[in-house]
Amino acid sequence: MLVTLDPRDERPLYLQIVDQVRRALLDGTLRAEDPLPSVRELAGELVVNPRTVSQAYRELEGEGVIYVRRGQGTFVAPTIHPDRRERRALVRGVAERALVEARRNGLEVEELITMIREVAVEEEGEESLTTPALRTAATAATAAKGGAA
Amino acid sequence: MTHPNASASDYAVATHGLSKRYGRKTALDQVELRVPDGAVYVLVGVNGAGKSTLFKMLMNLERPDAGTAVVFGLDTGREGPEVRAQVGYVPDRQDAPYRSMTCARLLRHVAAFYPEWDHAYADRLVHALGVPPQQLVGGLSKGGTRRLQLVLALAHRPALLLLDEPTDGLDPVVRRRALALLAEHLADTPTTILISTHHIQELESLADHVGMLRDGRLVAQMPREELQRTVRSYQFEVPDGWQVPQELQATALRRSSAGRDVRCTLVGEEQEVTGRLVASGARVRQVSTLALEDAALAFLPEDAS
Repeated sequence: MLVTLDPRDERPLYLQIVDQVRRALLDGTLRAEDPLPSVRELAGELVVNPRTVSQAYRELEGEGVIYVRRGQGTFVAPTIHPDRRERRALVRGVAERALVEARRNGLEVEELITMIREVAVEEEGEESLTTPALRTAATAATAAKGGAA
Repeated sequence: MTHPNASASDYAVATHGLSKRYGRKTALDQVELRVPDGAVYVLVGVNGAGKSTLFKMLMNLERPDAGTAVVFGLDTGREGPEVRAQVGYVPDRQDAPYRSMTCARLLRHVAAFYPEWDHAYADRLVHALGVPPQQLVGGLSKGGTRRLQLVLALAHRPALLLLDEPTDGLDPVVRRRALALLAEHLADTPTTILISTHHIQELESLADHVGMLRDGRLVAQMPREELQRTVRSYQFEVPDGWQVPQELQATALRRSSAGRDVRCTLVGEEQEVTGRLVASGARVRQVSTLALEDAALAFLPEDAS
């Protein structure tokens, strides 16, 4: 598992570490009973205060995602079913960040949700459609959809 | 969050009214430093703000004109040697003593003073930082001296590290390695660290407390989250003839404006500050958090950057 921190991300560093572990569980880079780097290793690698790493590990341990085997280290829980709960936690984090940003800009929740759908449809369209005519059609469809909602 | 009820023993380092003048220049003015036990406290300030003077006073290498400094409950003026035994110090000055000794010899020499000296760890540090054992101390480059000083400060695993610009003169690769070693050191050994730097951004993820020193005065000190929560950049639109509201005036730190758009760094809880801006007729358009460095620089004079 590779953890990278984003200095521009305004969330506390420990939460960034928590999220990255969750992500690694979701995409399969981390699996049940896999060992995690020690607090010391991760602190040295990321050049962060070891307390930050400990805090992240405590949080994950509290959620039952990882556990500590005395004298051996920290491991992913044997009965982890990352799909549902981890995915939910991850989505929640992304949603919370988007909401903070929306409120700062004086936007309504509904406006944000509608626009996310619109943008997603547009991007999907751009990926799958190559001719300008089709892209125009997709944009028109998006606009119609937005208007209907 | 500060600890109004905390007793002196909760602080690894505390100074009370610490003041120092050199001739007509005030080096330190009534400094009330509070470094919580186990903290990584970053001291920020421009050159000449008094950082090095403060470090020297904690080491009892300089005498204050007024006030006291207490390290682990010991008065640094009366119990200097006892204090120094528990401290690893990387001084601001680059010229190490014992210029005619080899690095290896100096390490053995210093090791003899500390019963806690960890020889295996010292060897590891020498290797990791690339200190040349057979080279004369006097022949080391600026960066080489810094690396040797770091080994000397860390190898006896002191309870307190006083690091005055410890990465000064190191190239970026060694700089990062030194900071990684510091992070590992913290994981292995319970240590309080007081560290001064010109490069706050490199300590961004290690720091948990920050103090801002300006013209010898400690203008603010607080936990890092508090600094980043309460110092933010506000962008807003103002009506003609708009004035900064009275209650924000004292904290309106940096301001730039283009037409009716004003951007300034303000201190306070976001909701409260936004409320006051709105009450003054401003339309708040955006609030953004600042990197640790920018938040800290808000307390320092404009020409600091």
